[in-house]
Amino acid sequence: MTRVTIPIGPQHPALKEPLSFLLTVEGEQIMESALRIGYVHRGLERIFQNRSYLQNVHVVERICGICSHIHTTAYCQAVEALLGLEIPPRALYLRTLLCELERIHSHLLWLGVLAEHIGFTTIFMYAWRDREIVLDIMEELSGGRVAHAVNVIGGVRIDLDQEHVHSILQRLDELERQVETFLGVVQHERTLQARTRGVGHLSAEQVRRYCVVGPVARASGVDVDLRRDAPYAAYASLDFQVITAEEGDVWARTMVRALESIESLHICRQLLQQLPEGPLTVRASRRVPPGEVVSRCEAPRGELVYYIRSDGSDRPARVKVRTPTLTTLITLPDQLRGVNTADVPTVLSGVDLCIACADR
Amino acid sequence: MNIDLILHVLQDAFPAETLEPQAMPINETFVALPPASIYLAAQILVERFGLRHLSTITGQDTGSEIELLYHFWDGRGLTLRTSLPREEPHIATLVNLIPGAAFYEREVSEMLHVTFDGHPDPRTLLLPDDWDGGAPLINE
Repeated sequence: MTRVTIPIGPQHPALKEPLSFLLTVEGEQIMESALRIGYVHRGLERIFQNRSYLQNVHVVERICGICSHIHTTAYCQAVEALLGLEIPPRALYLRTLLCELERIHSHLLWLGVLAEHIGFTTIFMYAWRDREIVLDIMEELSGGRVAHAVNVIGGVRIDLDQEHVHSILQRLDELERQVETFLGVVQHERTLQARTRGVGHLSAEQVRRYCVVGPVARASGVDVDLRRDAPYAAYASLDFQVITAEEGDVWARTMVRALESIESLHICRQLLQQLPEGPLTVRASRRVPPGEVVSRCEAPRGELVYYIRSDGSDRPARVKVRTPTLTTLITLPDQLRGVNTADVPTVLSGVDLCIACADR
Repeated sequence: MNIDLILHVLQDAFPAETLEPQAMPINETFVALPPASIYLAAQILVERFGLRHLSTITGQDTGSEIELLYHFWDGRGLTLRTSLPREEPHIATLVNLIPGAAFYEREVSEMLHVTFDGHPDPRTLLLPDDWDGGAPLINE
């Protein structure tokens, strides 16, 4: 059969963000694919060097439009380590609360995107409607739906009172019922199973070879989660399960993310019920003593890494960011080999790409 | 990760060097090695200790040289540090040991003009194909 090469992207109706593929097909089957990224590269690592540590909090927040808070968490944690600061427990709890709300919002947004790609518009509508519950809570807490500016170097700038805690808890219960419904759909709905089972398969060995992280790794049976394995913020004092699956396909990733959302809801409840009293910030110097630090956080898509080197001034000498999407992008040619062209959007959305994160 | 054992084995593997591990904040250890030893050190980490997760490679221009940091992780961090001359920096690729290093090496390569000898696909990663603005992360 003749081989035909089809370009997809950088601008394409099936893509939410710009990336480009050259797919070589025989009939309807993908034989090879070549990937090109960098269309939204903004040169942020250079920009960081020309801004103060304080200004950079707001720059790192804008790396991603979905997981903005985890970027400031990893960044502030790194700068705080260089400064040798002890962050008050209440600040760590509030920081962690936003991290988990963001994870729920990211996973629900992703579920909607996947559902839309497989033609399951009902779930797309419901998932995005219910995601508004989380966005509303985040907006009440911080004033922003996407960029929250909650983290500052030395703590957080938000607080909440008992009445607010009660109101959030009620809405989390409502959200949990909805997420349970989605979980039932993922488990039992035949159309969804037919479109996702066996598609975009990655073995545990492939995950390890490519250093893949996050829900994609966990859905292939690689049990890794920084929240448990290297606890940061308030995670050491929380009780939660790390969700894994064995199948390694898009269906397993859907299950992992749905169950993780429920686990995140449990974490949010614990945080709200055990919220310690005390100050929200400690005083941080504008100049940071010379040193280096590597800071890691479990973003909704997996391990997020920041490396910061300070030369003693009020500007970092180097800030390196490695986002989780970069680790999953590299697996796409493997995942696409042999799949039907109709499944390409499912494979692409299955790994939960964030191109703005990957390109920086 | 048994960091003491790893450091001990690395020291035995490079008797000519005096490894001076640096403890860094947030459970991280840095070890400096000459560029020619990085491949062998990574091979020891991967094959002997099953330490296959390379979080990323940081490249930076420190003014006098180009420094590369290979950030490994398994419950805690271990970073291999090496320095390359600013004139025509090059180092052996790790892609055949750790296929996940391919993107990280391509990024360091385009940002600092470091050549990774033996890299199977040394195209640019983030910069445009027709980029002629030099190495963006080299300080002038």
